[in-house]
Amino acid sequence: MHYEDMQADSAFGFDGNWKDFARIAVPNLLLTIVTLGIYRFWATTRERQYLWSHTRFVDERLEWTGTGKELFIGFVLVLLLFAIPVFGIQFVSQALVMRGYEAAGVALGLLPLFAIFYLTGLARFRALRYRLSRTRWRGIRGGSNNQGLGYGISYMWKTFVGYLALGLLIPWSMTSLWNERWSKMSFGPYEFNAHADSGNIFARFLLFYLSPIIFVVGGVIAAATGALAGYGLGGEDGAGIGALASFFILAIFFYFGLGVIAVAFYAKFYREAVGSTHWEDLHFSFEASTMDWIKLLIGDVLIVMFTLGLGFIFLSYRHWKFMIENLEANGDILLDDLTQSTTKTAKHGEGLLDAFDIGAF
Amino acid sequence: MENSFRTPAQWYDGQNAIRHEGEALWDGSGTLSLRGFSSELTLPFADLQFGEHRGGELVYRRTSEPDFRLILPEDLPPGLAAKLPEKKVYGGWIDKVGLGKATAAFAAVSVAAVALFLTAPDWLGPRVPQSWERNLGDAMVGDFGNRLCSTPEGDAALAKLLDAVDPDEQQVRAGVANIGMVNAVALPGGQVLLFDGLVQDAETPEELAGVLGHEVGHVRERHVMTALLRQFGLSILLSGANSGVGDTVFGLASMGYSRDAEREADEFARERLEESNVSPLGAARFFERIGGDSEAEENSLVGWVASHPAPRERAQAFRKAAEGKTFAPVLTAQEFEALKSMCEDDPDVEEFDFFF
Ligand SMILES: [Zn+2]
Repeated sequence: MHYEDMQADSAFGFDGNWKDFARIAVPNLLLTIVTLGIYRFWATTRERQYLWSHTRFVDERLEWTGTGKELFIGFVLVLLLFAIPVFGIQFVSQALVMRGYEAAGVALGLLPLFAIFYLTGLARFRALRYRLSRTRWRGIRGGSNNQGLGYGISYMWKTFVGYLALGLLIPWSMTSLWNERWSKMSFGPYEFNAHADSGNIFARFLLFYLSPIIFVVGGVIAAATGALAGYGLGGEDGAGIGALASFFILAIFFYFGLGVIAVAFYAKFYREAVGSTHWEDLHFSFEASTMDWIKLLIGDVLIVMFTLGLGFIFLSYRHWKFMIENLEANGDILLDDLTQSTTKTAKHGEGLLDAFDIGAF
Repeated sequence: MENSFRTPAQWYDGQNAIRHEGEALWDGSGTLSLRGFSSELTLPFADLQFGEHRGGELVYRRTSEPDFRLILPEDLPPGLAAKLPEKKVYGGWIDKVGLGKATAAFAAVSVAAVALFLTAPDWLGPRVPQSWERNLGDAMVGDFGNRLCSTPEGDAALAKLLDAVDPDEQQVRAGVANIGMVNAVALPGGQVLLFDGLVQDAETPEELAGVLGHEVGHVRERHVMTALLRQFGLSILLSGANSGVGDTVFGLASMGYSRDAEREADEFARERLEESNVSPLGAARFFERIGGDSEAEENSLVGWVASHPAPRERAQAFRKAAEGKTFAPVLTAQEFEALKSMCEDDPDVEEFDFFF
């Protein structure tokens, strides 16, 4: 019996370092520039090979088996199946408007927007499926037999409902979509399942939701106070300057304060979502606190700023490292039973996702 | 160089997650034997593929069993290393030629591609058959139906004006659009529109003949197709982000031409006017007027002035063409009047209700 005891130490580990990563990222950047961006599919693949191979799960490294070619094909497919039809639709809708059928033209022009909405959900699903199917651990891969077409519909209506009730159902739509997405995925013979509960993140959401109102009310009071103070110091002119200064300080506070609260909500969501995701007898958790996320984001900004933008090539490294270092797993894996996945694998990569530029997890 | 060796090895069979540990034995033949406690197998070198190089280890895959993994230490004896598939860093031919040469080659191809893409409208535009352009223009703009002003006398006067500047068998389609702006455009598909505002502004029919000749020049010299191709290229680059109707159809008509194209169109107009014995002084007057200090007109003329060469310079060229010549009037006073009152007299003309 091969049996892995996971309690002993952290299930996930990362042993890459940024100097080695630079040896991949810098030539990647160079080749991407001289190929007018076409190399980026191969660049992404090389980056992932590095990141995956320096990621340990229990006692073995991950392996990325995706190829640049399949990412490229995925991209070309999106171009053929989506971009060109959209171009055609725009042409027809313009022609309709020119001929005086304004309503029909505008309606047709809106069609691509709906398509983009649907395809965003589909892309998210497909990207996760693609990544699982190209990840090997001990020679075993993941995947899904689901095409994600139904998920695209769910994405549309759940997002819509989320915003419907003054946005109060957004936490529900986020957790529900996470659950739906992950419950259709598997690794080896076992399916993932997720039952994130929006009730657990609702308080944080309310904080985010209500804070603008509190800020505004507080702001008016503060401005009035500032104006009064200014009036005391310099009469009419002083009042104006005082009010202006108060608003200025408030605007900065509003901008950063709201940002921080948004991060706090996101951090909570991630802990809830990952923490309620299971894979057979294994359950996951994500440890990053709001402060950890803020440090990550501030670090990102500083790195990009101090390198005049060049540092952006290290962001994927930082984000992956952050994810892995905060990811935990507990439970047992029975290696004898961990047989190869029988899911179908797509021949092409995450072209849709590339096209809409959204994250996969 | 030794021709046999044994080295520690790990492998996964690709069927389940169990790790097999043991030795890889090589006896100098074309196969590698894996001997372990839990698994024994022999595999031909030809079946192995390089997977990756990770922290002190080399990973190989099998062509016949894609999820099989063989993990060997990186310090292999040279004899065995020579037998195994070569390491890949960038993949493909970049590894063979080296990063420097590959970069140079890519850069050269890219520069050529960009140059081709940027110049394509200029050499491709004139080569697109006129009939294609006409079909494309019809699909984009269609005919304007009742939005063009039409009276029998006005149409006849316009036809006479057009005959003077477009002697071709198949003439461009010209019309007076019910728009108050002082402007004229050449649209895809060989369609030329004088705006009613311009017609009202004109003091002599020769002015209209000059402007009409200029726009016909844009059509005949294939500037419209060139501008259309440039616009298509641009919207491909911007992935259709900028695709308002006004931008594509009228935008290109007023902004899409280079200064050289404008000079060509002027030249075309001068040649036609000379052939038809029409005075180019009208055109000169028009350019002088829009280049002058007419404050009130400035707004409506911004488009024209901004995208065309300096009006003074253009007016001079037209004046020069008139030196030492006498001309016949292009329209009678009656015909000119019919053209001027065309929009007012047309009972069922519709407003141009978009983008103006
Ligand atoms: Zn012009």
